[in-house]
Amino acid sequence: MPSTPRNRLGDLERAVMEELWSTADAHPEGRTVREVHDSIGVERGLAYTTLMTVLDRMAKKDLVTRERDGRAWRYTPASTRAELTSESLHHTLGELAGDTRRSALLHFLDESTPEEIDELKAALAELEARRPDQRRA
Amino acid sequence: MLVVAGLVALAVLLAWPVPRALARVTSLRRAPRAALVLWQSTAVAAVLAALLAAPAALPALLGREVRLSQSWPTVTVAALLSAVVAVRLLLSGDRVGRNLRAARRRHRDLVDLLGTPGEGADRHMRVLEHTTPTAYCVPGVRRRVVLTQGTLDRLGPDELTAVLAHERAHLAARHDLVMEFFTVVHEAMPPWLRSEAALREVHLLIEVLADRAAVRRAGAVNTGRAIVAMAGGPKPVGAMAMADSTRVASARIQLLDADRIAGLPVGVVAATMYAASAVLVAVPLALYGLAIAELSLV
Repeated sequence: MPSTPRNRLGDLERAVMEELWSTADAHPEGRTVREVHDSIGVERGLAYTTLMTVLDRMAKKDLVTRERDGRAWRYTPASTRAELTSESLHHTLGELAGDTRRSALLHFLDESTPEEIDELKAALAELEARRPDQRRA
Repeated sequence: MLVVAGLVALAVLLAWPVPRALARVTSLRRAPRAALVLWQSTAVAAVLAALLAAPAALPALLGREVRLSQSWPTVTVAALLSAVVAVRLLLSGDRVGRNLRAARRRHRDLVDLLGTPGEGADRHMRVLEHTTPTAYCVPGVRRRVVLTQGTLDRLGPDELTAVLAHERAHLAARHDLVMEFFTVVHEAMPPWLRSEAALREVHLLIEVLADRAAVRRAGAVNTGRAIVAMAGGPKPVGAMAMADSTRVASARIQLLDADRIAGLPVGVVAATMYAASAVLVAVPLALYGLAIAELSLV
């Protein structure tokens, strides 16, 4: 992927979330822009204001929540990584109405019910019987 | 006026009975590419017939060969049909296009935030930390192939190759544009006229086409095993099972070695469908040509 400004911003948001997630247990009260900058900004040669802007944007996108602490904001992840992952997988299935859902993301397989898996296994067994050359030893 | 009536009749035929009948002819799935072309030309011909109905009425009116007092019912129907179809298509195209792109952008941002990116040739790949085996692609200019850790844990290397070849075939062949076209036409129709079966059939054909790419890379048996493994995994709570999904999955497994299915040779079936596609698109154009010819004769 060429390093477009958009991708760099995506990478930076990712790094910030990683930092907030990995320190969430040690710092349940959240982290300030200064602390985040010290952890991930300095080594990347980023300006303090860059991280301030990124965190502000992420708060507006509801990825992080923030609380006033004196003159600074303290940022915490809005949800854990597991929650957000579940949510995003769930979104791929439920957020869109039927017609649009089928076209927005192309799934390898739509959801299927466990009861009907046997039918699939039978179809596979027939296929394997027809193609003995491709059977695994 | 006969030409105009013909165009209106053609539009109605291609919008109502033809897609419903076509969705039932499952043997067409053996030649998925030709079948998709046939579906597309059916939709294009229906749209052309509807859009050309009103312009085709003009020559006769201008030529004063036909009294307006006699032909006004046909002209009114044609004008209404063309106008309504044009407006609905534009609105639907705009709405569907915007919804799709917004949903993909939101989703891509999320997986970029959450997923572990692949490297080198896999740089469009993202792996999500989740036990549900899922694989999909986010089409578009900034495309993504998304897998869960559950997929990686569950599939053998050859099965994984099959899944990735399937998703990459979707992206490389821009199957999303085919689906988008049909979704636009589908949603442009009033709800009572839409055929869910037709849209599902087109979706299945796209999957069968991508499965072919997987079979070429990993073999039919590995592709079949991948389908079964992906179907059998744990499901996220609250996920909606689609009623027809397993039927679709077993149809896909049966089509992995479609060459063995009895009937006419696949080449003959495909050639017939290509020919039928050409004829379908040619008919409304020819009818319109007739109407123009009438004008120049006057």
